[in-house]
Amino acid sequence: MEPAPTQAQHPVHEPVDVPVDVPVLEMVQPMVGFPDRRRFALERLDDTGLVCDLRSLDDPELRFVVVAPGPFFPDYSPEVDDAVVAELGVESEDDLLALLVVTLGETADAATANLLAPVLVNHRTRRAGQYLLDDTDLPMRAPLSPA
Amino acid sequence: MLVLSRRVGESIVIGDDVVITVLDVRGDVVRVGVDAPRSVQVRRQELLVELAETNRAAASPEPSAVAGLSALVSGADRGRRTPAPGPRPPVPRPQAPRRPADPPAGG
Repeated sequence: MEPAPTQAQHPVHEPVDVPVDVPVLEMVQPMVGFPDRRRFALERLDDTGLVCDLRSLDDPELRFVVVAPGPFFPDYSPEVDDAVVAELGVESEDDLLALLVVTLGETADAATANLLAPVLVNHRTRRAGQYLLDDTDLPMRAPLSPA
Repeated sequence: MLVLSRRVGESIVIGDDVVITVLDVRGDVVRVGVDAPRSVQVRRQELLVELAETNRAAASPEPSAVAGLSALVSGADRGRRTPAPGPRPPVPRPQAPRRPADPPAGG
């Protein structure tokens, strides 16, 4: 018998692109493996707003490239629970963006995106975090290029 | 590491707020229930290890690879035949458990 449910799940609105640069994000859940890096800037890397730079303001050497899921994973619609909603100060579904951390090798051909642990951003409150989703079938390294 | 033995149905309390209960044992799979405040994240350790490795591999990529990525993304975006789905109103799923159920073959 499964335990009694305690929380509602909320789908994350899938954005077409990052609407606006966010000067300073406060990571309430830090990037896993980088626990003391809490302040990041989120900036577009190109005109489309689909590829962005998540750059540490505490460590100039540290940055991540993130992409909006839409172009590659149009059905990606992560569900987040009430605890995450509360922690990020989400009031409406429009507040939330899901951004996927991209692992790049020497070239972009082998680039992969992390669907299991997106960076969720409330662009209104500027709180963000990397959250492991419940659906353990989602890959951490999903290829961006077909085949 | 503190080592304790528990029978099925027995529990361990960590701090004041976290309770781990052994639910059942089937072969070499132990099913464990966790009661914790919402503010405490409960995650499988091997996933955290893999996530830390993936983040480290992703951190601070080569600028040339990043430039290649922008080209890839523009191509993928142009190739989309239908627009991205619009917003879905949150649908409460009262039957969904807080923690994922283990698959029958073991979590």
